[in-house]
Amino acid sequence: MFRDVAFGQYYPTNSPVHRLDARVKLLLTILFITAIFFINTYFGFMLTAAVLLAVIILARLPIISVLKSVRGILFIVVFTAVINLFFIKDGEVLAQIGTAVITKTGVHTTIKMVLRLVLLISGASLLSLTTTPVQLADGLESLMSPLKLIRVPVRDIAMIMSIALRFIPTLFEETNKIISAQKARGASFDTGNVLSRIKALLPVLIPLFVNSFRRADELAFAMDARCYNATDKRTKMKKAVIGVGDIIAVLFIGGFFTVILLERYYFPTVGINIDSTIFGDLL
Amino acid sequence: MQAVEIKNLDFVYSKKTPYEKQALKNVSLSVEEGTFLGLVGATGSGKSTLIQHLNGLIKVQNKKRSSVVVNGMSAKDRKTLKKLRFEVGMVFQYPEYQLFEDTVARDVAFGPKNMKLEKDEIDRRVRRALEVVGLDYDRFAERSPFDLSGGEKRRVAIAGVIAMQPKILVLDEPVAGLDPVGREEILALVKKLQREVSPTVITVSHNMDDMAMLADRIVALKDGEIVADGTPKEVFCNRSLILDAGLDLPTATSFSDILRERGVEIPDDIVTMDELAEELAKALSKKRAVADVDATEGNGNV
Amino acid sequence: MPQIEIKNVSYTYPIKEGYNIKALKNVSFSVEKGEFIALAGMNGSGKSTLAKLLNGLFLPTSGEVLIDRISTADEDKTFEIRKRAGMVFQNPDNQMVATIIEDDIAFGPENIGVPREEIVKRVQDALEAVGMSEYRTRTASKLSGGQKQRIAIAGVLAMKPEILILDESTSMLDPNGRKEIMDIARKLNESGITVINITHNMEEAAMANRVIVLRKGRIAMDASPKEVFASGLLEACGLTLPPITRLAKNLAEKGFVFDGAIISEEELAEEICRQLK
Repeated sequence: MFRDVAFGQYYPTNSPVHRLDARVKLLLTILFITAIFFINTYFGFMLTAAVLLAVIILARLPIISVLKSVRGILFIVVFTAVINLFFIKDGEVLAQIGTAVITKTGVHTTIKMVLRLVLLISGASLLSLTTTPVQLADGLESLMSPLKLIRVPVRDIAMIMSIALRFIPTLFEETNKIISAQKARGASFDTGNVLSRIKALLPVLIPLFVNSFRRADELAFAMDARCYNATDKRTKMKKAVIGVGDIIAVLFIGGFFTVILLERYYFPTVGINIDSTIFGDLL
Repeated sequence: MQAVEIKNLDFVYSKKTPYEKQALKNVSLSVEEGTFLGLVGATGSGKSTLIQHLNGLIKVQNKKRSSVVVNGMSAKDRKTLKKLRFEVGMVFQYPEYQLFEDTVARDVAFGPKNMKLEKDEIDRRVRRALEVVGLDYDRFAERSPFDLSGGEKRRVAIAGVIAMQPKILVLDEPVAGLDPVGREEILALVKKLQREVSPTVITVSHNMDDMAMLADRIVALKDGEIVADGTPKEVFCNRSLILDAGLDLPTATSFSDILRERGVEIPDDIVTMDELAEELAKALSKKRAVADVDATEGNGNV
Repeated sequence: MPQIEIKNVSYTYPIKEGYNIKALKNVSFSVEKGEFIALAGMNGSGKSTLAKLLNGLFLPTSGEVLIDRISTADEDKTFEIRKRAGMVFQNPDNQMVATIIEDDIAFGPENIGVPREEIVKRVQDALEAVGMSEYRTRTASKLSGGQKQRIAIAGVLAMKPEILILDESTSMLDPNGRKEIMDIARKLNESGITVINITHNMEEAAMANRVIVLRKGRIAMDASPKEVFASGLLEACGLTLPPITRLAKNLAEKGFVFDGAIISEEELAEEICRQLK
């Protein structure tokens, strides 16, 4: 049921992208995602896709590893697409099936929504594919460290995140095992109405919770035994240094962000506007 | 009658991804009803994938080439899938981690309920299943399975499978993690289940001593292929093959090899400790007989 | 001076209101530096509770546990004790905090504030000691159970412990994994680390120089493996003889003569050959 879950899984290759500072990657990912929300033209989407592709190639990732994370949200993509397609009533009517109306604006909004979602998830997954959970947690801890002043337990939050990421594959595996075991006793998860389906999940969820508490207990012992919270002067094996690569990355993504902003607010005609695209003409 | 007939079974995990792995390669296997089959193989050799095909938990991938038939029902046939599930009782590793109901009786009743049996029949089966696994119904039925000891939990989990009255019982490492007494109790229980509930038993195990003692037939897997199939003697005496598959020899076999290397005259096909003890006792009495003869002859000459 | 001293230790678990379980009752023993001890007993005998008392994860309800004369109840020294007495747990999946192997091994040294360069070196040394150097930058999820436990041992070694406690660390492993872990334990013991192996596997117990058997929270036996196996009390403690010892016992009934319990294949083979020649 949950096989091939790729999102959140680190994909080890020794690439320049992997070597970037996690804090830089975190901030640049946020910048990239923000940029996506400013895009309104197909030129912008093409540029974004090109940037994304460049990073994937540079990171030596197989495209399929990125596509897999998109597959994880396929349902949301399709759902959003359908909603947009049928519920936007403005603009020129292109087709009418019974009471449902498809308009030109609806089609364009749908295409944009889908592109946005796909680019967004791809961008976010690049972060987790090229950054180990510990680096990610350390990066977050470092970025959030000003919050320590107002007594936010930043280190514990970072630790919780790191452990959560570490246990995702373990819990998926366990879920699969329990599902198999209950199916072997004749349980079925794909028949009946919504209510009975939720009820059918209890034989999976209850052992999963019980076992997770047991795991958490053991993990707490294991962490205590290894002196967690022994001192406030905790050290770090991995030194985060801002290198040349990081500066280049900042310039690259920064440049991309600038182009997107300029294109949107100052030179909207540079990009081919949505209404005059091939799609637009065809429609 | 054949309880299981598998023909040309292949299985590939994560097809067309960087993680692609062929778990089974052209596996053909038929198991006669009444057999106690020991399925052995190193971790990752494909044992789990193979057994999960038996009740359709894993679907046959190559429908044209491969077939899995259990008690005359094809695992490819969607219509009989449910029935198949109930005829193949599957006890997974650490089955106690799948208990979920608030009472033992209800947990054991989960399978029979899914079979849509009458309430009376369900109750009857729950009682019988608990009794077979050695848990007193009146003492255990209303207790929470989460409050029991490790060994008791495992019995409850096994009872939950037995309550479906499967004709084939498949167990994956049934004694994993148990202490010595727990191990012996569960192994004895498995034997009892074969006599009283499911005539055909397939057990996955890493313990070759147990398998040599319990199984009528051993099938060894290596990298998804069957590399040996026969009686414990036939399989375990093929020493290079067993070691090559990443398995241990039974203690009796490896120890008798040590003895034979040192000149002790015992057969080379010993697989259980009882056999080894018998043979050594024979060797000892032979030696004593010879010594006695020597002694009497010696006396005569004086 | 003994390295570990357990003095009249009792431990009571609160289960529910007004309902307690006495897991340990008045247990006393001491351990010298460099010993290899098997702490054996059936499930529920109290052996895992005892393990957790050794490094202050649990504190005795009464009595005292001393590591190098430091009481585990001394709150200021808790981490000093945990640094000295490292512990590997049962489930390989439940003790790893980081996805990447080197990050996990660094967790302990980071917690006690070891300087950066020193951590890097310790991680490398620890990985080498368990024979996992080539896995340093990989993720743990694709490893076998035995390999995961080796990583867990490395994580403990990186804190430079003087005592290694294995809390049923082999019970979820296949025979190969079990062998890997016991080989490492033996090597570490030869290098001077005290090993305390909590187990119900009597073949492992035979490898120790001293076996302490617990029964219902009390010490039932504390002697060499040979003496423990010869005592005839093992079954009463819910344990069984290792296969080789059992074979020897069986042979003794069939006319062979052995002096005391046999604990190794080598020993038994020699005896049988001698008696058949």
